[in-house]
Amino acid sequence: MMRLPLFEFRAPRALEEAARILDGEGTAVMPLAGGTDLLPNMKRRQQVPRILMSLRYIEDLNHVHWDHSARRLGACVTLADIAADARFRNGLTALRQAASLVATPHIRNMATLGGNLCLDTRCNYYDQNYEWRKAINFCLKKDGDTCWVAPGSPKCMAVSSTDAAPALIALGARVRLVSRSGEREVLLSDLYSNDGLNYIKRKSNEILAEVLLDSLGGWKSAYWKLRRRGSFDFPVLSVAAAARISASGGVEEARIVIGSAASLPLVAREAAKSLVGRPLDADSIREAAVLAARIAKPLDNTDFDMSWRKKVTGEFVTCALLELRGDDVRSKRESFMRTSFL
Amino acid sequence: MQLDKIAEKLRFDPADLRLSIAESSNAVTANFFRLSVVNLSECIRRVVRISDWKEKFRKMPEGRGVGLACSAYLTGAGLPIYWNKMPHSGVHIKFDRGGGVAVFCGATEIGQGSDDVLAGIVAEVLGLETLDIRLYTGDTDLGPVDLGSYSSRVTIMAGNAALEAAERGRAIITEAVAEKLEVQRERLRFADKRVFDSAAPEKGVTFREAVCLAEARFGTIGTMGSYTPPKSPALYKGGGVGPSPTYSYTAAVVEVVVSPTTGWINVPKIWIAHDIGRALNPTLVRGQVEGSVYMGLGEALMEEQDFRRLPKKMSHALVHKFPSMLEYKSPTSLDMPEVVTELIEEPDPRGPFGAKEVGQGPLLPIMPAVANAVYDAVGVRIDEVPITPEKIMKALAEKKAGREPRFGPNHFPDIAWPEALRVPPPWEGGDGHAVNDVARPSKRHADKEKVLSS
Repeated sequence: MMRLPLFEFRAPRALEEAARILDGEGTAVMPLAGGTDLLPNMKRRQQVPRILMSLRYIEDLNHVHWDHSARRLGACVTLADIAADARFRNGLTALRQAASLVATPHIRNMATLGGNLCLDTRCNYYDQNYEWRKAINFCLKKDGDTCWVAPGSPKCMAVSSTDAAPALIALGARVRLVSRSGEREVLLSDLYSNDGLNYIKRKSNEILAEVLLDSLGGWKSAYWKLRRRGSFDFPVLSVAAAARISASGGVEEARIVIGSAASLPLVAREAAKSLVGRPLDADSIREAAVLAARIAKPLDNTDFDMSWRKKVTGEFVTCALLELRGDDVRSKRESFMRTSFL
Repeated sequence: MQLDKIAEKLRFDPADLRLSIAESSNAVTANFFRLSVVNLSECIRRVVRISDWKEKFRKMPEGRGVGLACSAYLTGAGLPIYWNKMPHSGVHIKFDRGGGVAVFCGATEIGQGSDDVLAGIVAEVLGLETLDIRLYTGDTDLGPVDLGSYSSRVTIMAGNAALEAAERGRAIITEAVAEKLEVQRERLRFADKRVFDSAAPEKGVTFREAVCLAEARFGTIGTMGSYTPPKSPALYKGGGVGPSPTYSYTAAVVEVVVSPTTGWINVPKIWIAHDIGRALNPTLVRGQVEGSVYMGLGEALMEEQDFRRLPKKMSHALVHKFPSMLEYKSPTSLDMPEVVTELIEEPDPRGPFGAKEVGQGPLLPIMPAVANAVYDAVGVRIDEVPITPEKIMKALAEKKAGREPRFGPNHFPDIAWPEALRVPPPWEGGDGHAVNDVARPSKRHADKEKVLSS
């Protein structure tokens, strides 16, 4: 049985206090939201913070602020809350679909939006217990110096496995990061780097406090997730697509994001650009699917064969765009997702 | 799967081919397994009927298919897991003057329902209800040995031992009650927690009174039962693997939907018929069948131990690619299909009240039936588990290139086999021995027996 290492527990009631603790304790402290990722990682000694600082007692982080022009989602809003909230429809469908497809109902009840955005990158050489990792002399991501996925690689190839990030990037979300010295807003697509080790640009003294979304009138969005089973598993490939479509059916603006095919969510800019000014027809969809699949370079460190995962990228882009167009893709969605509620 | 391929070559319906070669009751097989009641044909006919097999097989649209497979499984290994001549299972029953019945047995309940089976058998013999029986199982300090929850053996072995112990108890109580009521022993019945005259049911005593009468007459009442499987006629080397008091049989039809563009597989429905002999607790039996379907699907579609070799500069050892239960996948409730379970019941004289196993047998047809269904859906053979979308895509690519439409190992593992034993089957006058078996020295065996008896 793997046990948690000893740690000190802090539970600040205000964001300022939390920022002060983070600032004072440096890298010894880690923020704890739902804990569904961090606590198992701690049992495997992937992270061993001396102090865990819970964010869940900070009232401000638990709210969804909703007005006609913008939405502000507190980082500690649970994925179950988002999945159940009927306001996340139309433009925000992708977020609701992504939240609904994370892990299991039990985990969604605990896991938070902010936690999912900060989710540690995953790799089958890394998500192992301490003894297993020690037996292979550890790996580049933690305690070692070789990336076993690509032994010649100077950087870690662990996979971005968040469901919420691709969906929110497609929706143009920004995040508010708060530290003792101030706060900043960054486009979510700029928060990540393609490095499994330093995958997130959140500084260790910053708290990801809120997700900010502009009004998405006229937008439609969708999220498709690949995994072996209808529940539990992390994505091994995902596609989030969002588009503003004119009354005449032409695409005015679009974003396509591919998840779990690199150490960060990949923004398929060319694919999205190719759609602008055109209707979502067989030609434009095919072209976008080919362009998007081209940038997906999954590696052999998750479930399923990597070349097959790449092959599914085009299929998922096609499905997502057909869904935006208003086609009935429910049976196809049910076939892959094994659930029919979305 | 092999039968499916043969049936296709012969232009036979695979269900008909199987029906034409299914064994019948009481046969002795080519390898000298003695069968008891065999209802495999009825299992096949039943799943063919309830699944509309004849309307579906080779008739569904591209991407949809059905597959059929069947299986036989032993109901308890005929030889003990460690060599000895003692019974494989024992049961003690204690009757107390309050009417309480306590059953002691080493059998281990691991969720399969063996406790319920033990209590149910004893209750049935004594005219009580399952909840009237107090069980002390899985504790060798308290009860006699049962060899364990493996090889689908507990119902038949611990069950037969319980049956013997309960019948011995009933005989003692019958004696005392017959004397008291002045009724012939043969006319007494145990039912509704009473012991009464079958010719005049109002004439009787409660079970508690019956036990008191017996204790007054004979002293405290405790009985014992045990079970040893019958000797196997398979006398050749290796013949110890597979003999069993009786065998269960299963047939299943699996329907699949396979995407020709991604190879993605879904299993919407499974029909399964299991020859159980007699279902002692039909709810538990159905639960065991559905559990087998679930595990069979996991084996067919997901479970895999993948290894990779570490670089030379390290140990160069083979290490497990995914040594975690999160990555050793089995279906979730969302992945489970609708399962239609049919129980085929004809009591088997070898089983307690005719019961056979439902621990492992119903799992077996699932994997080949899935593979056969995939072939029916998209015309490719996946000769390896797990059957995954990428393997289907590779086989489809072979098909498209005009090569053999299959994925799987292309040769048998290179093994230097010793000379094969030749065992003439019963219908060629064989006596269970191999004609070319090398005589084995039996000294070690004799020594061991000496140790046990000293």
